[in-house]
Amino acid sequence: MKAGKKVSVFFILPFVLFFILFWLVPFFYGFYMSLHNFSLINGDRGFIGVDNYIKILFSSSMYHSSFFLGLKNTLIFVALSVPPLVLLSLALALLVDNLPNKVKGLFRTIYFISYSVSVTAVASIFIWMLKGNGGYLNNLLMNLKITAAPIPWLESQPFVWISLTIATVWWTIGYNMMLFINGLNEIDVSIYEASAIDGAGFWTKFVSITMPNIKNIFFFVLMTTIIASFNVYGQPRLMTAGGPGQTTKPLIMVINSAIMDQNNMGIGNAMAILMGLIIMAVSLGQYFMTKEKEKIRIK
Amino acid sequence: MITKKIPNIILTIIACIVAYAFLLPLLFMVSTSFKGLSDALGSSSLLPQQVTFKNYVDLFNQTSSAPILKWAFNTLVVTVLGTMLRLITSTLAAYSLARLNVPFKKGILIGLIWAMAIPEIVTYFPLFYIFKNTGMLNTYLPLILPSGAGAMTVYLIYQFMLGFPRELEEAAFVDGASLVKILLRIVLPSVKPILITQGFIVFLGLYNTYLWPSLVVSRTEMNTITLGIASLVLGENYVNPGLMMAATVVAVIPTILIFMFLNKYIVRGFTQSGIK
Repeated sequence: MKAGKKVSVFFILPFVLFFILFWLVPFFYGFYMSLHNFSLINGDRGFIGVDNYIKILFSSSMYHSSFFLGLKNTLIFVALSVPPLVLLSLALALLVDNLPNKVKGLFRTIYFISYSVSVTAVASIFIWMLKGNGGYLNNLLMNLKITAAPIPWLESQPFVWISLTIATVWWTIGYNMMLFINGLNEIDVSIYEASAIDGAGFWTKFVSITMPNIKNIFFFVLMTTIIASFNVYGQPRLMTAGGPGQTTKPLIMVINSAIMDQNNMGIGNAMAILMGLIIMAVSLGQYFMTKEKEKIRIK
Repeated sequence: MITKKIPNIILTIIACIVAYAFLLPLLFMVSTSFKGLSDALGSSSLLPQQVTFKNYVDLFNQTSSAPILKWAFNTLVVTVLGTMLRLITSTLAAYSLARLNVPFKKGILIGLIWAMAIPEIVTYFPLFYIFKNTGMLNTYLPLILPSGAGAMTVYLIYQFMLGFPRELEEAAFVDGASLVKILLRIVLPSVKPILITQGFIVFLGLYNTYLWPSLVVSRTEMNTITLGIASLVLGENYVNPGLMMAATVVAVIPTILIFMFLNKYIVRGFTQSGIK
C-alpha cells in the first residue's frame, strides 16, 4: 500500500515523542548523572568520571557497604523465593491438569486469584496475619497450645525471611502456574496415551515426556522469576522496613535511600545501572541457553 | 493428563486443601474487616464473633487521613487515561511500522527491542528527577504520561499485525477508502483481540503498581488506592486491623472481580507478553 511518508510519520510520532521524553531522555540522563557529582537538592556539581562506580564497587565508603548489603539481601531473597515459585508452581500446574475437567477451571482461578492484588494489599494482609502482637496466626498457634509465646514473624530472623517468602509465593505463584498450564496443554495427548499402553508410571512419564516438552517454558519461568525476585521492593519495604537490622533491605531500597535520604543522585543512578546490568546478564543467559536448544533441535 | 492411577477423588481433596491455603489470606481480610477492635486483635477464630460494619463506616468518614473515595477517583483517572494513552500511541505506531513505509523503520524496531531488554529500574529515578524539576510531582501527569512509551505493547501489536493478511486493506485502498477509514473499519476490528488483552494487562499494571507512584506522589490526597494502602500500612496511627482490612477489601475488589470473570483475557495477555 502506497500511503504517503507524511502519514506514516504522523502515525508513529505520538509514540516516538513519548518514548523519547519518558524513556530515552531519562535513560541517558541517568547515565550522565552516574558520571557526575550530582545532588538531588543542589543538582550537578561537576563531572567525576567513573568515581561513583569505583566508590560503590571498590572503596570502603558507606555506599560500598550498603550496595553489597543490598545485593546480598536481594540474592538471599532470590535463593529463597525462586525454588518454591518455580517448582511448586509446576506441581500446582500438574495438579490442576490432572483434575477432573469439571473442576479444573474453578481451582485454576482460585490459585491464580491472589496474583490480582497489589503488593500493598499483600503487605497489609500479611502484616495483620503475622504480627507478633495480636496477629491472627500467633493467636491461633497459642490458642492451640502449639507455641507458648508469640512467634516474631515480622520482627526477628529467620522468621522474617520465611514470612517474606511465604507472602511472595502466595502472591505470585499463580502466574507461573498459568504459564506451565499453557505449556502442558500444548503437549500432544496421544503421546501420553501411547506410553500408558506401555505401562509407564507417573514419574517415568513426567521425566521422559512432560519435562522435555515444557523445557523451554520451564527455563522461561525460571529466568523471569529470578528477575522478578531480583526486583523485590514492596514486600520488605512495607512488611519489615528492611529490618531487623537491615537484614531484609534489598537493592532497590538501598538505591532509594541513597537518592531520597542521602540526596545522592550520582551514586543512586550508578547503583541502578549496576543493578540493571546484573539483571541483563541474567536475561542474556536465558537468551543464549534457549538459542543453544534450538541448535540442538535442528541437529 | 499424565496418569489415571491416582483416583480423582484424592486429587480433588488435595486441590481443596491447597485452595484453602490460597483463600485463607483473602478470607482473613474479609472477615477481619467485619470484626470489632478487641475481636480483631485477640481472637484466633477466622469468623467475627459479632459482625460489625463500623470499620467501613469509619473508613468512609475518615476523610483526612484516608480519603478513600478521592483515592478511588485518582485511580480511575490514572488507569483509564493511562490505558487509553498506551493503546492509542501503540496501535498507531504499530500500524505505521507494519503497514506504512515509515522512515528509519529498522532503527525504530531495534530501539524497541533494546528498550524491552533494559530493566525499568534504570529509568525510574532520572524520570522522577525530571518530573521533580518540572514541578509535576503530586499531579496526575507522572502517573499517566509514561504510559505513552510502551515499547513492549507496540512490538506485540506490530507482530500481531504482521500475522494478518494485508489484502483487505489494499483492496479498500484501491476502492478509494481513506486511511482513517481503513484504520477504523478494517485494522481496528482485526487487532481488537490483542487490544483487549493488552488493555487488561496495562490496566492491572497501572492499578497495582507501587514503586513508581511512591516516588512521584507524596501528598495523601493524590494517592492512588494502591499507594493509599501503603500509606496506611506505613502510618503509625493505623493500629486497627479491622479498619486496615476494610480499606484493603475496597482496594482489591475491582481487580479480583476482573480476574474472576475475565481471566481468559488476562491469561492470553500474559502469554502474549511472555512466550508465543
